[in-house]
Amino acid sequence: MSFKYPVVMPKMSMTMETGELINFHVKVGDHVKSGDILFEVMTDKIDMEVDAPADGVIESLVAEPGAIIEIGKPVLIMLTETEVMAFDFGSEEGETSQVIEKKPVEPVEVTIAQPTPAIVLNEKVKAVPKARTEAMARGIDIRTIAPTGPDNTITMHDLGNARVDPVISARQKANRALVAKAIENSRSIAQASFSRKVNSEFDIAMLIKAWAKTLRSRPDLAIHTNIGVALIIESKYGSALPVFKDPDQLSHEDLTSLIARTSESAIDGKVPLAMLTGATTTIFDLRAYSMNSATPLLFPNQITSLTIGDIGNLEKNISLTIDLNFCDFYDGAMLLDALIASLTK
Amino acid sequence: MLTMAEAIREAMSIAFDERPEVFLLGEDVGIYGGAFGVSGDMYHRYGAERVLDTPIAELGIVGAAVGAALSGMRPIVEIQFSDFTAQAMDQIANQAAKIHFMLGGALHVPMVLRTPQGSGTGAAAQHSQNLEPWFASVPGLKVVVPSNPADAKGLLLSSIDDPNPVIFLEHKLLYKIPGREPVPEGSERIPLGVSKVVREGKDLTIVATGIMVNKAWEVCEKLSTEGISITLIDPRTISPLDMQPVYESVDKTGRLLVVQEGPAQAGFINEVIAQMAGSASFGSLIAPIKRLAGMNIPIPYAPQLEKAAVPQIEDIEIAAREIVKNWR
Amino acid sequence: MSAHPLIMGHPTSSPEHARHALLYMWRIRKFEEAVEDLFGRGMMHGTMHLSIGQEASPTGMCMALTLQDQITSTHRGHGHCIAKGADLTRMIAELLGKEIGYCGGRGGSMHIADVETGNLGANGVVGGGIPIAAGAALASKMTKKGTVVVSFFGDGAMNEGAFHEAANLAAIWKLPLILFCENNKYGMSSSTEKAFAIDNLAERGKGYGIPAVNVDGNDVIDVYEQAEIAVKRAQAGEGPTLIIAETYRWKGHSRSDKNLYRTKEEIEEWRELDPIPKFTAKVIKSKLLSKEECEAIAQEATDAIIAAVNESVKAKPADPAGLLEAVFKKVSA
Repeated sequence: MSFKYPVVMPKMSMTMETGELINFHVKVGDHVKSGDILFEVMTDKIDMEVDAPADGVIESLVAEPGAIIEIGKPVLIMLTETEVMAFDFGSEEGETSQVIEKKPVEPVEVTIAQPTPAIVLNEKVKAVPKARTEAMARGIDIRTIAPTGPDNTITMHDLGNARVDPVISARQKANRALVAKAIENSRSIAQASFSRKVNSEFDIAMLIKAWAKTLRSRPDLAIHTNIGVALIIESKYGSALPVFKDPDQLSHEDLTSLIARTSESAIDGKVPLAMLTGATTTIFDLRAYSMNSATPLLFPNQITSLTIGDIGNLEKNISLTIDLNFCDFYDGAMLLDALIASLTK
Repeated sequence: MLTMAEAIREAMSIAFDERPEVFLLGEDVGIYGGAFGVSGDMYHRYGAERVLDTPIAELGIVGAAVGAALSGMRPIVEIQFSDFTAQAMDQIANQAAKIHFMLGGALHVPMVLRTPQGSGTGAAAQHSQNLEPWFASVPGLKVVVPSNPADAKGLLLSSIDDPNPVIFLEHKLLYKIPGREPVPEGSERIPLGVSKVVREGKDLTIVATGIMVNKAWEVCEKLSTEGISITLIDPRTISPLDMQPVYESVDKTGRLLVVQEGPAQAGFINEVIAQMAGSASFGSLIAPIKRLAGMNIPIPYAPQLEKAAVPQIEDIEIAAREIVKNWR
Repeated sequence: MSAHPLIMGHPTSSPEHARHALLYMWRIRKFEEAVEDLFGRGMMHGTMHLSIGQEASPTGMCMALTLQDQITSTHRGHGHCIAKGADLTRMIAELLGKEIGYCGGRGGSMHIADVETGNLGANGVVGGGIPIAAGAALASKMTKKGTVVVSFFGDGAMNEGAFHEAANLAAIWKLPLILFCENNKYGMSSSTEKAFAIDNLAERGKGYGIPAVNVDGNDVIDVYEQAEIAVKRAQAGEGPTLIIAETYRWKGHSRSDKNLYRTKEEIEEWRELDPIPKFTAKVIKSKLLSKEECEAIAQEATDAIIAAVNESVKAKPADPAGLLEAVFKKVSA
C-alpha cells in the first residue's frame, strides 16, 4: 500500500459549498474495495454516499460525524495500492473562478434649485425632450410654460411663445418678502453695530476664513456648535444665501474655488441642498455695488453679521452687528479687533 | 422588371455559379420549383445534386444544413413557412447560432435559412406569422428582411457570402410583384448591417421593416403633395441593426414613427425605440415616439379580420398626420 | 499542441494495436477520474457528465476511423474526444475555464470540438449532434471525399425527433453515416425498459431501412469488428448503419445524480464487466503484451493526465474582454 489518499468532501451540485458528514460506514483498519461506501454526507436535505475510488485500507478518520465540511477538504485518509487521481492544489493555485472587476458606479452629482417659499409652482411638467433642453439653455424655467400639446405636454411651439418674466418676477417677489420678514425680525432684537477701516489687501475667501477663525476663537459667544458663514449673493431671483461650513478649515485655494462655483450656480438660482442650512453668521460684500457701508442686519438664529464696503484708495470699511442678548459691546469690539488683526497679518 | 421571387432565384443562381459548395435543400424546392415558385427551374438547370428535395423534416434538414456548413459547404435551406422554423429551433438557435462562439471560433456555420413570412394570403394563424423577434433576439444569428426585389438580390448574395448563419425573411405577398426599382444586372452585393435611407424629408422620420416599407412609401408620396416631407428608413438587416441614419434623421426632424407587421408585444421594432430612447438623439425629439405594429393576436382568417390585424396604409397616414400636426 | 498519434486497425492484430487500445481506454478512464476529483474539489464550474465504465465503445469505434473521418459527440463526450485524438491539456484547460482550452473557456465540457482530429463537437442538447452528423455525411458524399461520419449518442436520444429525422435522411440519401448508440440503459433516470416499447433497440433500424447490429459495448474487440464493417459499408456507398453498443455508466448521470433510480446490485454487476481488465486479461493471455507492459501503459496514461492537469492549472484564465467579437466569424473583405 504505497499511496496515501485523502477522501474529500465532494462537490455534488453546482451550488454546493459545504456538506454535513452524517456517518462513517468504515472504521480505521478496514479493507475496502473500489466502490465500497465509505461515508454518507448530506447536502440540501439529500443524502449522498461517497465511495472508495480504489482498493485499499482505511488509515484514519479526519472528521467527526455531524461536522460541516467545506468541499475539497478531507474526511478520511486511506492507503491504496494503485495511484488515485488526486489533485490538491490548495485554494490559491487551484482557483478557477475569476473575479470580474466591475467598474464602480460613479455617483451622480445633483444640484437642487433653491426652494422658493411663497409661490407654488407646478413641479411635475410634461415636456418634449427638446423643449426641456432648450429651456435649460435659454434660462427659462420649463415649469413656467403653459402647455398646449396633447396630454398637457409642453411642445416646442409652447416654448417658442414663452415670455421669461412672469414667474421670475414672482420668485423675486417671494424672495423680497422673505428678506423683509427677516429684517423686521431683526429690528426687534437688541443690537449694536461697529465699524472699522482696514487698509490691507484681502479677497472674500480670506475674509470668510478670517471671520470664521475669529468666531471659533470665541466659543463663549457662540449659540451654535458649528460655524457656517452665509454669503449674500444676488441672483436673478433675488438674494441667495449659500452657507460655507467651517470655512476656516479649508485651504484658501479650495475656498476660493468653492465660492466661485457656488456663486456661479447661485446666480442661476441653484444652490446645493447642503448649503442651504447651517448659517451661524452672514456676510454681505457691498463692494460689487460700490457702496461704502451699510449696517449689517441680523438674520434669524444668528447673533453676528458683517458687511464690507469700499471707501476708495484701497481702504475698506468693515461693519459688524451683534445681538446684545448674547454679546456685550466689549465683546463686539473685540471680535472686530480680532478680525482686523487677522486680516492685516 | 423582376419580381422578388425571380430576384431571389437569380441571386441563388449567381451564387451556385460562383461557388460549387453552394447548394439548396428544402421541401418541394426541386422538381416542384418551390411552394412559392422561388427556386423555379433551378432543379432542371443544376440537377438533383445541388437542389435537394427533402422529406417533411424541418429539424433534420436544418440540422443537416448545419452539419454540411461545418464541413465546408454553403447550404441554403428553405423552410416552407417561417412558422415551421419552430420545428427546427434547436438547430437554429442552440446549434447554428452558438457553434462559433461556444467552440471558441474553431468552427463556423456559413448557412442561409430562407423562409417566407407574413400575413395577407388568408392562410390563417399557423401560416402567417412574422417572427422577426424570435431570430433577432438570438446572439449569433444575422437576420435580413428585404422589402423589394433589388435589395433581395444584393442582400441574399451577401448572406451567402457571410460565414455566419443568416436568417433571410421573405414576404409572401411580395414574391410575385416587381419593386419600384428595377433589379440591377450583375452580381453586386448589398452589405449586411447597413440601413437604407429610402427617401429624405424634414418633418418626420419613419423606420419600417419588410412589407411596411412599401406601405409607408405610399404615405410619404401622398403627404409630400401636402407639403409634409418624410424621411423613410429601411433597416434591411434587423440584426445587427444600423441605427446611425435614424439618429441623424431624428436630429433633423425631431419626430419618429416606427412601423412593423408583427405583433407589438416584444416585437423587433421595439429595439429601434429602445436604442433611440437611450441615445444622444433623444434630446432632439419634439414629439413622443409613435409605434404602429400588428395587434397582439394570432392572425385571423376572414379577410377583413386579417386586414385589421396589421397596420395598413391608412393607419400609417393617420399616424403620420397626427404626429406632425400635434407636435410642433 | 498536436493530436496524439492514432492507430487504425483491429485491437489484437499486433502488439502496437493492443497497446493503443489499452492506452486509450486508460487515458479515458484516468481523465474521467481526474475530472471527478477536480470537480469534487470545487475547481470546475458547472457540472460534469462522466463516462467511467464506457471506455471500450469510443476506443473501438475510433480505431476504425482515419483522422479525417468526423464524429459528433454528446454531453457525455470526453471519451469520444480523447479516442479521436484530442489534446488532454486543452481539454482539461477548457474544463478549468482557461484561455488555452479548446473553446477558450467559452464552451465547457459539453461543447468541446477539435477540428484537427475531425471532431465536430460535443453537444449539450440530446440528439443535437445527429442531424449535424447527417449533414457532414451529406457534404462528404456531395464532395466525394470518401470520409465517413460517426454520430455518438445515447439510448435517450433515440426517442428524440432529431434522431428520427436524421436517420431517415441518412437512409434515403445513403449517407456515409454511422449511428453509434451507447446504450447505457438510462436516459438520465428513465431506464430503457420504461422508455422503449421494444426490448432490442436495434429493431429500430428496420423502420428506416437501416441495417442494425448489437455489440458488447464493453468489449473493445467486438466494437471494433462491427465498426469496421459499418465503415466499409459507408465507404462503398451503401449508406448508414445503426450500432447499438450495450454498456453501462458507473457514476450518476452527472455529478448531481443520486442514483435513486438503480440498485447497488445493478451497479455492482456491471463493475464486474469493466472493459479495461477484460481486455488486459485477453492480451496477456494471448501474449500480445506482458503484465508489466500493461501496468506500464496504465502508468503512462496516469502520467499523461497528471501532466495535463498540472499544465492547465497554471494557464491563464479566459478573459471576458473580446466576448462580443467572438460571436460572429469576421467577414473577410
